[in-house]
Amino acid sequence: MAHRLGGRRKNVKKGFQFTFMVVGASGTGRTTFVNTLCDSGVLPKKISDNPEEAHNEAGIKIKPVSVELDEDGVRISLTIVDTPGFGDNIDNEKCFQEIVGYLESQYDDILAEENRIKRNPRFRDNRVHALLYFIAPTGHALREIDIELMRRLSPRVNVIPVIGRADSLTPQELRDFKRRIMEDIEHYNIPIYNFPYDPEEDDEDTVEENSELRTLLPFAIIGSDEEIVVNGRTVRGRQYPWGAVEVDNPKHSDFARLRSALLSSHLQDLKEITHDFLYENYRTEKLSRTINGGDQDGAALDADEMASQSVRLKEEQLRREEEKLRDIELKVQKEIQEKRQELLAKEEALRSLEARLAAAQLQDAA
Amino acid sequence: MAPSATSSPGIGIANLPNQRHKIVTQRGANFTLMVCGESGLGKTTFVNTLFTTGIKEHKNHVKRHSEQLDKTVKIEITKAELEEKLFKVQLTVIDTPGFGDYVNNRNNWDPIIEFLDDQHESFMRQEQQPTREGKIDMRVHACLYFIRPTGHTLSALDVEVMKRLGSRVNLIPVIAKADTLTPKDLAEFKQKVRDVIVAQNIHIYSCPIESEEESTTARNQDIMSAMPFAVIGSIDTVNTTDGRTVIGREYSWGVAEVENDEHCDFKKLRSLLIRTHMLDLISTTEETHYETYRQGQMETRKFGDPKVKNYDNPKFREEEDMLRKRFTDQVKSEENRFRQWEQQLIAERDRLNKDLETQHAQIKSLESDLESLYQQQNRGTIRR
Repeated sequence: MAHRLGGRRKNVKKGFQFTFMVVGASGTGRTTFVNTLCDSGVLPKKISDNPEEAHNEAGIKIKPVSVELDEDGVRISLTIVDTPGFGDNIDNEKCFQEIVGYLESQYDDILAEENRIKRNPRFRDNRVHALLYFIAPTGHALREIDIELMRRLSPRVNVIPVIGRADSLTPQELRDFKRRIMEDIEHYNIPIYNFPYDPEEDDEDTVEENSELRTLLPFAIIGSDEEIVVNGRTVRGRQYPWGAVEVDNPKHSDFARLRSALLSSHLQDLKEITHDFLYENYRTEKLSRTINGGDQDGAALDADEMASQSVRLKEEQLRREEEKLRDIELKVQKEIQEKRQELLAKEEALRSLEARLAAAQLQDAA
Repeated sequence: MAPSATSSPGIGIANLPNQRHKIVTQRGANFTLMVCGESGLGKTTFVNTLFTTGIKEHKNHVKRHSEQLDKTVKIEITKAELEEKLFKVQLTVIDTPGFGDYVNNRNNWDPIIEFLDDQHESFMRQEQQPTREGKIDMRVHACLYFIRPTGHTLSALDVEVMKRLGSRVNLIPVIAKADTLTPKDLAEFKQKVRDVIVAQNIHIYSCPIESEEESTTARNQDIMSAMPFAVIGSIDTVNTTDGRTVIGREYSWGVAEVENDEHCDFKKLRSLLIRTHMLDLISTTEETHYETYRQGQMETRKFGDPKVKNYDNPKFREEEDMLRKRFTDQVKSEENRFRQWEQQLIAERDRLNKDLETQHAQIKSLESDLESLYQQQNRGTIRR
């Protein structure tokens, strides 16, 4: 992987920082996927709530977790944001707003930091670089909640759709399901991260790799944090009475391909798109909003931080303006003083002239 | 003369069951089954698997983009006639497409509950008619509720709907697509579902277990202990790795068999629905659920009265409430304003009244002064 980055040796030693979010209804395999990815129990399994509370709708919670990974000798400082509770309520309208709010508040932090006079050198970039959306393996097509989520979040983050629990679909069903999902995505114009490449600019290998990954979308994921024995080998997988599914077997699931794309080959690309494109768009939108319409939208997004940050920004601006004004004032005053001095001097000169004239006249008269 | 117990073959009362058998065989049975659950859980496939023929059609995906998403739950009725060994069954399958599929599923279940009640209502009305021949009976005898195999627990939506279904119909919970859960996960999940059902007081169908024969009792026990039933649905015939030809689902890692008790509970559920307990399901519907409904209605309605229809679509109800609130608020604020105005007017009036009074008092004092002056003058003049 080091050679891919072509000489960025310093980064290789320092390691990379990467943040991704996992979103999906409970039971789609989010937690297991994360634990499988990191090869350790990073996220706790859902402790089933009290059965007497089962009729209550818990809202959505957003929980970031940090973990250090070593990928081919490269250190990756990974932050994973889990969103338990999404899609589990009877009415899920508010879930979208919470996630969008979280993403935007990370952008706001960066915006505020950039505008500070004294920047914090240890500032942590918490922007989310990729969002894995877990589609339930219905076998039909996208549901309303899937379409809504991907559509609302694509402007703020790279959305990568995955099919969770793909071991409930036979190979034929999986092919049809993937096809229908991609048809839906195109029909509803949802801009997902589809491994973009430029046939003219990029080299052959990149083009080939990206187009191959594109055909795999959405990735069919099977996750497991248990080890089983298959034909004498010990692998990660799930043991059924009728057979055993292997997580790392590319014929069974796309897990391995997704992992390598996410953590090595496309990590940099995802970060760049987040910074150069998504963040810039947000910045432009937000700043033009503050200039044009004041903070009306700011009130709608309910985050106290957002309000205080915009207030802080405004204060900074105000202070700068005030300083400028003061400078101008001082300058003007100085000018006024100078002018007054000149005037006084002139007056004196005039008076002395007058006096001389008067004296001269008197002399004449006498 | 005492009646003598004869040892003759009896008068033939023992032949009644055979007569009954003939009548039932000729008449055939009428069975209505409802399948309820989110889309993509295998309801259609299950129904086809249960009756081993293509009774229901799968959802047509080609047209999905042109269909309008109107965010309601529809009731789909499919009728079929099954015949086995000269015995006919009129089968009706009720599906509920759209249930649980939207972002906001609140009150999604209203059309379903209304449908169930309507069937009872319709039967009741027909019974009250002068001619009771040819009744159309679509009362639902069993409702299969398909639970998503999350492996965690029942969702809030599941709980809400199951509560309402359980009090109106024989509710049988089913774990859909059970081939996505390993045996250990499945056992845990079943236990969690059972716990929630008990804790939330959801009423599910329980067949009579005790019977005269030991084997029947054991079998009933077996069936009931497997609730909620884990099902795999398929109508495809595939070959297993060890050469057998079975109905099942073929994966790259093996074949999940439908009729294998170690893979799923399909056979038990089929036995419950058809082989052993179909008549029990029918009779409990007619006796228990219908009677409960009838009793509830008759306590509040007079004979022959139409049913109280509440035309409330929940969305409209919300709007109505909001409008009403706004209206009352406005009325209240107007009233306040008027009251204040009234107060002001009263204050003005009082003030003016006071002024008037003082004026009046002044006039009075002036008058009395004048009087006294006059008097003085009079006295004065008189004196002079």
